Amino acid sequence: MQPSLILRSGRSAWKGPFFVAFPNLKQALEDNVPIRTNARSCTILPNFVGVRFMVHNGKDYLPVTVTQDMIGHKLGEFSHTKKRFTYKATKNR
Amino acid sequence: MVHVLGVLLPDLQYARHALTTFYGVGNRTAHRLCARLQIHDRQKVRDLTATQITELASFLASPSTAPPLRRMPLALPGYKPPLVSVPTETLRNHALRDSLPGRPDPLKSLKIEAEARRMVKENIAHQRMIGSYVGKRHAMGLPVRGQNTQSNAKTAKKLNRVNRFG
Repeated sequence: MQPSLILRSGRSAWKGPFFVAFPNLKQALEDNVPIRTNARSCTILPNFVGVRFMVHNGKDYLPVTVTQDMIGHKLGEFSHTKKRFTYKATKNR
Repeated sequence: MVHVLGVLLPDLQYARHALTTFYGVGNRTAHRLCARLQIHDRQKVRDLTATQITELASFLASPSTAPPLRRMPLALPGYKPPLVSVPTETLRNHALRDSLPGRPDPLKSLKIEAEARRMVKENIAHQRMIGSYVGKRHAMGLPVRGQNTQSNAKTAKKLNRVNRFG
């Protein structure tokens, strides 16, 4: 774990980063099966690299593939909750 | 008129305040710089000596390679001063050797102007590359930290870009 990772989080060092323990993490990495989760506030740890997640955005589960650069960020940062408005003309008026 | 590394420092301001003209130097860093270069709290830019300006320029040109801060350990009661014949350089080296390791020098990692701007751009580019919410908001030119956007958000619309300037 990089010390800067803890520093950036703004969380006290003795607590360490907040994360949720995924019991099926190793299995998911081997089988390449996405982990379905609602834990958007879970910090991405170095051992998550390569794992595929399906992160809840309040409505759907969006796919997130964890890469090396994402370490230290939260899972929720990659599952966008807002959709840009697009106008759809109604058919039956 | 004092130009340091292409930045014009305002003549009539206090040096500690004028230093904040540099991009990447705030009040705190300016205070540290003044302490390092022994610039008086009430010294104005026009009163800076040529030596001080040169020192400032040479320090800011590359803070990471600047000579280390000289440590002045306090003498213990039983201290006997060294002989006059001992050269000053040896004394200084001894003082450096005997001094306790302190906290790392915060001015070593100082980044100003182009370097600081590049750091900001790199951070935004990183967020954009990994596809996070922050990067997305920068690309859209909207506020990043949950501010309202129905009205206002002028600063974000002006500044938030992937290739940010200013």
